[in-house]
Amino acid sequence: MNTQNQNGYMLLYRTDEWYNRLSREELQKLMDQNKAWIERLTAQGKAKPGRALERRGAIVSGKNGRFITDGPFAESKEAIGGYLVLDVETIDEAIAIAQSSPGLAYGGSIEVRPVAEECPLDVRARELAREEQLAMA
Amino acid sequence: MNTQNQNGYMLLFRGNDWYKSLSPEETQKVTDQWMAWFRRLTDQGKAVAGNPLEREGKIVSGKNRVVSDGPFAESKEAIGGYFLLDVASLDEAVAIAQECPGLPYGIRVEVRPVAAECPMASELKREAEVATA
Repeated sequence: MNTQNQNGYMLLYRTDEWYNRLSREELQKLMDQNKAWIERLTAQGKAKPGRALERRGAIVSGKNGRFITDGPFAESKEAIGGYLVLDVETIDEAIAIAQSSPGLAYGGSIEVRPVAEECPLDVRARELAREEQLAMA
Repeated sequence: MNTQNQNGYMLLFRGNDWYKSLSPEETQKVTDQWMAWFRRLTDQGKAVAGNPLEREGKIVSGKNRVVSDGPFAESKEAIGGYFLLDVASLDEAVAIAQECPGLPYGIRVEVRPVAAECPMASELKREAEVATA
């Protein structure tokens, strides 16, 4: 894997609504920790504003998007609960930041993904064009 | 369901293997359509951000903060990229999702309202209301 990336990294939070199982005190403590964590990363220039996603929405699929279905976004441990974009240069640093996320102690996972320099479709189109040229040569 | 949202919507494109089986011409066609689609939405002020993600990465999970690999390349569920939309209703966000050029090839578009605040804060308020009720 290419470990350097100029375009930053995206952290995708995959969790169910685990915070509904915490007491008020635990919840308040964790929120304070989380706020301090994000503020520190932002002050260091390492994180751009992230957002949480509501536990509702739709999934569109099929030709012309003719199928529209609901979640599940609330119960699924795999559902995306929010994201954060990191402006760091290596996946190791992005992983270290993900590991320092206060919420991880309660379960769930964080997906760490390099933001792509260009659309993978474009890359694939070029690959195919090259293969075609080789075949003709 | 509340169908109005001031904070916009996120489109998550799911499926990372669908374009592997396309011919060079089809691949080029879908690429051009996708670019034109994003450009139009940006010009209309409806798309405020968007990025493809690399088909690689890591997953950090649980109390022990274990680091593991994908799969991101072969998976039908994996997220290949996203758009952030500045539109006011779920219906409009869904209508935009329905224009996605990858849909005929098996891509799925998840449409999610961006939350006004951290869901933990909402939960805390809800618990406070219950406590004082």
